[in-house]
Formats: sequence, structure tokens, C-alpha cells
Amino acid sequence: MKKQSPQGASASSAAGRRRVQRQRQLSFQKAVQIAWRNIRQRLGRSLLVTIGIILALAFLTYILYSDTITRAALRGGSPALLDSLARRGMTTVNDADARIQTRWMLGLALLVSFVGILNSMLLSVTERFKEIGTMKCLGALDSLIVELFLLESTFQGLVGTVAGILIGVALALSEGARVYGAEMWELLPVGALFRLLGICVLVGVGLTVVAALYPAWRAAKMEPVEAMRSEV
Amino acid sequence: MSNTENVSGQQELDAAELLSTHVIRAVGVRKTYQLGGEAVHALKGVNLSVERGEYVSIMGPSGSGKSTLFNMIGGLDKPDAGQVFIDEVDIAALDTFELAWLRCHKIGYIFQTFNLIPVASALENVMMPMLFGGMPEADAQDKAASLLEKVGLGHRVFHKPNQLSGGQQQRVAVARALANDPAIILADEPTGNLDLHTGEEIIRMLEALKDDFQVTIITATHDHKMLAASDRVVYLTDGEITDIKSRDELHIQVGTIAGAEQ
Ligand SMILES: Nc1ncnc2c1ncn2[C@@H]1O[C@H](COP(=O)(O)OP(=O)(O)OP(=O)(O)O)[C@@H](O)[C@H]1O
Ligand SMILES: [Mg+2]
Repeated sequence: MKKQSPQGASASSAAGRRRVQRQRQLSFQKAVQIAWRNIRQRLGRSLLVTIGIILALAFLTYILYSDTITRAALRGGSPALLDSLARRGMTTVNDADARIQTRWMLGLALLVSFVGILNSMLLSVTERFKEIGTMKCLGALDSLIVELFLLESTFQGLVGTVAGILIGVALALSEGARVYGAEMWELLPVGALFRLLGICVLVGVGLTVVAALYPAWRAAKMEPVEAMRSEV
Repeated sequence: MSNTENVSGQQELDAAELLSTHVIRAVGVRKTYQLGGEAVHALKGVNLSVERGEYVSIMGPSGSGKSTLFNMIGGLDKPDAGQVFIDEVDIAALDTFELAWLRCHKIGYIFQTFNLIPVASALENVMMPMLFGGMPEADAQDKAASLLEKVGLGHRVFHKPNQLSGGQQQRVAVARALANDPAIILADEPTGNLDLHTGEEIIRMLEALKDDFQVTIITATHDHKMLAASDRVVYLTDGEITDIKSRDELHIQVGTIAGAEQ
């Protein structure tokens, strides 16, 4: 159905083309401001996404940290500590089976939170169909819409990740202190724990942003005509 | 049909004159929707030219294709056949960046449901098209404030849409539509969600702003009482223009209708 302009019209459209310019991208700073306003004003919806990330990241950090702490204790603990652990039946870190089990649980936790974030983001896109359509009528480019949704999810991912990591670390350390006593603090493999921290941050933010890709794309594909629909 | 010919006949006028006076030209615009395997002919070849500075109302019953025509001349949708020229630019020839620029700078949209951004204040709503258009923040803020002043909301600039009445929200929308000094304001049933009195206020305000800003206004309505400001009324029935009345003819008609109702 796409048609070519007849000759008469192409002359005037060539003249007109000069009068139409290309819309430029909004500055990154402005986009950040708008995204931040969206988060702040929609705290309820934002929290839902954030809580999902917090739970997943708390679980991830807790598992990774307790595993590392346990191994450090078994490797470098004093004879007295090892003795008391042995009496409680704790001689090896984790046998292969248990480790595989933990990995499965981790994988599931991350998957569940991934789906949760995806779902929340899709919902928030659907809720905002009209708003997105309106913004397009006002001159927003597709790329701005994608940028806004990705920025929003990055904010949520960062907050959720930091909170989740704090909770996970606190849980792992307090449990370690309970099981291994004061000796744990001397045994802590600080370098390894910091490296884990980096991994957790990457996983948390990465998870959120990847989960937001599809919803953001959906939002950008929205036709501005949607803004005109009178329902809702 | 004789009326539509009358309209399309204008297109045979001198091209240079067309360039200068016609801000919108729709030529043989057709649009067909597929609805559950059935073809709905929303527009069946509409010809319409609108002159710069005109106030045109499109009248027609529900489902007659007003919104479809609006989407075409607003650069929001492309016709299946026929052409739409905005400021003599064939919108079918534009890429997405040019279309976005056109929507941002040439056209101001006013919606039946106001469509303000709910998380943004009145001021921020009016600033938005200016920021999209690349205006520095401080300038945008000043201009938005003066536009809100113009629509009588100078004292409500920091209110959120949900803290404003329907009429006030539509005023913000009018200010937002004027943000980038567009050539055209498109208002699809701008009074559809307002009571009669508030609706008339909005129409009168649009009429006043039209001269202030030298903007062309096109509105759709199915309410005869909202036609008072129109220079021309285009009657749309079943996807076809069935009649066009100028302001003079209109007064007689409005008079008779008002008389008939009493
Ligand atoms: N997206 C769509 N898909 C299928 N059919 C559509 C679509 N949009 C409009 N139509 C059909 O096209 C016709 C014209 O619709 P349009 O919305 O333009 O009417 P309208 O004059 O604006 O009506 P109203 O006064 O109720 O807003 C109608 O029959 C409608 O059902
Ligand atoms: Mg309509």
C-alpha cells in the first residue's frame, strides 16, 4: 500500500524537506532527570520491582558469603574450632550434591526475580501506554523511551542490589559469628569477599537491566496514535 | 459530493499560492481498518485544505472517521492511499526523526482526555515539548510560566494534574500545545470530557489564542454548541466529507437550531 509521491507532489516535498529538520536526542542528563522523577513519583510500583531484586540479591549474597566463610573456617580454623565443628558433624564444606542443590536454588531465585522484574516492568509499560503515546506526540524519539525505561530499571536495580547485598552480608556474617565464634573475624577472606561483592553488584544490576530490555522495546514501539484513544 | 469537489478544486490553484496559504492539504485520503476479517472503511477518499490561521471544526457522528482523519493530518498515522501535506511537506516522505521533529515543532495536540503526564507538574508538562525540541531548561521554564499565565493558570504552575480540575487540566494542555509555537493545533474533541460551560470557555480561549499565536486550529466535535468559534465546519459522514459550511452560513444554521430547540 506504500505509494510513491506523484511528480507534482515530490517537487513541493523536496522544497518542504528543507523546512523539516531531524529531531535530536534529548541530553542524557535530562533523560536521567525525567527517569528519576518517574521513579520518585511512582514509588509504589518502583518498590515492587526493587523488593524482588532485594530478595534475590540477599539470597545470592548470603549463599556466596556463607559458603566462602565456611570454607575459610574449615581451612584455617584453630584445632579447637575444628574440633567443635567436627563434634557437630561439620567436617567438609559441602559435598558435591549439596553444592549442586545450592546452585539450583540460586538459579531458581534469580530466575524468579528476573520474571518478577520483567512482569512488573511490562505492567508499568502497559499502564503508561497513553503517557508514552503522548510523549511521542510531543516529539519524544523511540530511543528516548528506551533510555527512560532502562534508566528507571537501572536505578531500581542499583537500590535493590545495594539493599539486598547489605542484608545478605549481614545474614551471612551474623550466622558465621554464631557458628564459628569470634574466631570468624580473623578468618575472613577479605579479598575474596570483596570480589564476590563485585560479582553480586554486576548480577543485580545486570539482571534488572536485561529484564527491562524487552519492556523498554515494547514501550518504544508504541504508536503515538495510542495517545488519542479515549478509553482509560 | 459537490462540496468535496469544491474543496479539491482549490488544489488546481497556483502552486506558489498553495505553498503560502495552505497549512494542511489532504488529497484523496483513504484508510481501511481490518476488524476481525472485515474491512472497515474509516476514510473513503477525503480531500481537505486548511488555510493558515483558519479555525476549522470537523463535525460528524461517532464512528464517522474524525479521529482517523485527525491521526492522518497530525502525522500520527499514514493513509493507505492519498497524501497528506503539512506545510506542503508530504508526511509519507518523512523518516521517524523528521516526523518526531514535525510533531514537536509544527503541531500542538490537544486530547479529549487531556493526557497530561501525571507525575509532572503543570509547569513541567508545558516545558516537556520545549525540552524535546532542544530549548535550554531556563528558557523553557520562563516560556512555560508565561504560557500558563496566558491560559489563566499562573497561580497553579506547581500543581500536579490530579490536583487540577478537568477544565484546568485542559488549559495546561492548551499551553503545552502552544509550547513550540506550532503552525497547527489539533484538538480531537477537546471538550468531550468537560461540562458545557467549561467546554465553551476552552473553545473561546482557543479562539482568542488563535489570533495571538497566529496558529491554525482544527478541532473535532459532535456538539453543535462547540462550533461558535469556527471559520469553517466540515461535515464528515461515514468516512466522507458531505458538506462544508463557512462561518456566515453557520450563524444562520446555529440560529435555526437554537430556535428549534427552544
Ligand atoms: N484501530 C482501529 N481498528 C479498527 N477499526 C478502527 C480503528 N480505529 C477506528 N476504527 C473504525 O474506523 C471508523 C472511524 O473511527 P473514528 O475513531 O475515526 O471515528 P470518530 O468519528 O472519531 O468517532 P468518535 O466520535 O466516536 O470519536 C469506526 O468505524 C471505527 O470502528
Ligand atoms: Mg474520535
